[in-house]
Amino acid sequence: MADAPAETDDELLLRMRSGDEQAFVALYRRRQAAIYRFALHMSGSAAAAEDIIQEVFLALIRDDCGYDPERGTLSGYLFGIARKLALRQLARRRTDVALETGAGEPVPPELAAGADQLADLTRKEGVAALRRAVQALPERYREVVALCDLEEVDYAEAAFVLGCPVGTVRSRLHRARSLLLEKMRKERGAGPSGALKPVRCEI
Amino acid sequence: MTCQEFWDAMPELEGQPGADAAAHLAACAVCGKVMGNQRALAAGMRAAAADWRRTKAPNRVEAKLLAAFRGQAGLAAPPPARRWWTTALAWTAAALVVAGAFLLFATRGRQTQAPANVPVAAELAAIDWSARLPAELAAQGAGEGFITLPNADRLPPNEDLNVVRVEVPRSAMIALGYSVTADRAAERVRADVVMGSDGLARAVRFLDE
Repeated sequence: MADAPAETDDELLLRMRSGDEQAFVALYRRRQAAIYRFALHMSGSAAAAEDIIQEVFLALIRDDCGYDPERGTLSGYLFGIARKLALRQLARRRTDVALETGAGEPVPPELAAGADQLADLTRKEGVAALRRAVQALPERYREVVALCDLEEVDYAEAAFVLGCPVGTVRSRLHRARSLLLEKMRKERGAGPSGALKPVRCEI
Repeated sequence: MTCQEFWDAMPELEGQPGADAAAHLAACAVCGKVMGNQRALAAGMRAAAADWRRTKAPNRVEAKLLAAFRGQAGLAAPPPARRWWTTALAWTAAALVVAGAFLLFATRGRQTQAPANVPVAAELAAIDWSARLPAELAAQGAGEGFITLPNADRLPPNEDLNVVRVEVPRSAMIALGYSVTADRAAERVRADVVMGSDGLARAVRFLDE
């Protein structure tokens, strides 16, 4: 016997609006992890990400949350709120202390490999280095990498979240990947590479 | 196809490139190398995404949000259609509230008259919430003025507690022995609720009495 099709986000939201607690719990559990990770990628702080995820869903609980299914998906709407909150937190933090990007941390010996040895990025230490590199990206590139590469949000939804055309998402993503490669090379102690040609950079 | 044209097309890192792009990659060692690095990066990203896929918000966030939802849903619920069973339910609930309030006060009264025979409700009321709450909350005076709820008797000694601020209808205060007039029953009052890790309320204090 086939399983009953899962309720859509909008159906759960409708039930939630009428006070159905189970619908709220189902919606929260379906969406919280991706939003929390996005907040974590953006803020680099578990405490900040926890605040953000809480604020995002508190906003959804409010009757006047402003979500309009005609304009985009609920997931995109939630990512959008999380992004605004994360950017606000980062702006606030900039006024207090310098961002912890990991740039000043010593490079672990296992990462001090040759310039062309990027094949081990799938290994544990490579993943950790990649995470540091993502954290060190400028916000406009970090957010597109976090959305499209790490949370696998499609370009159209990312464009909705970021409030820009799909073409801009694609070009920012290409630029972000180039910056990441450059960052990884620097972390491996090779310095800027002449072999890495700058790709399209029109932002 | 030139190198500039190749990169202007922003080739996807997965799947087969188009015929022109494939021909350029085969002919241009530099673009081939850069593309190889970009593909390695994409593979690293996929590994990172898989590695982080298990990361999720702490459970206490769900408990806090659930408390907020309950408070909000109580306020925003539309008036139910009048049916015979809703009326019966309302009367049953009212009877339970009166019985609960009576029991609470009766046991508190016995505590003052006969301290040797301390009833359960008085034991619950004696919980020192400032000692049980996280240190940073207790330091802000968050532990004062709480009314212990009956389910606090199942509180394990080291349970992770949180305080959540919610808004509830003033009528909710009736169950805890407060006097509320009918014309003010629908007003919103702010309350701090001590939440257990299971999402259940352990104690409450009203900020707008």
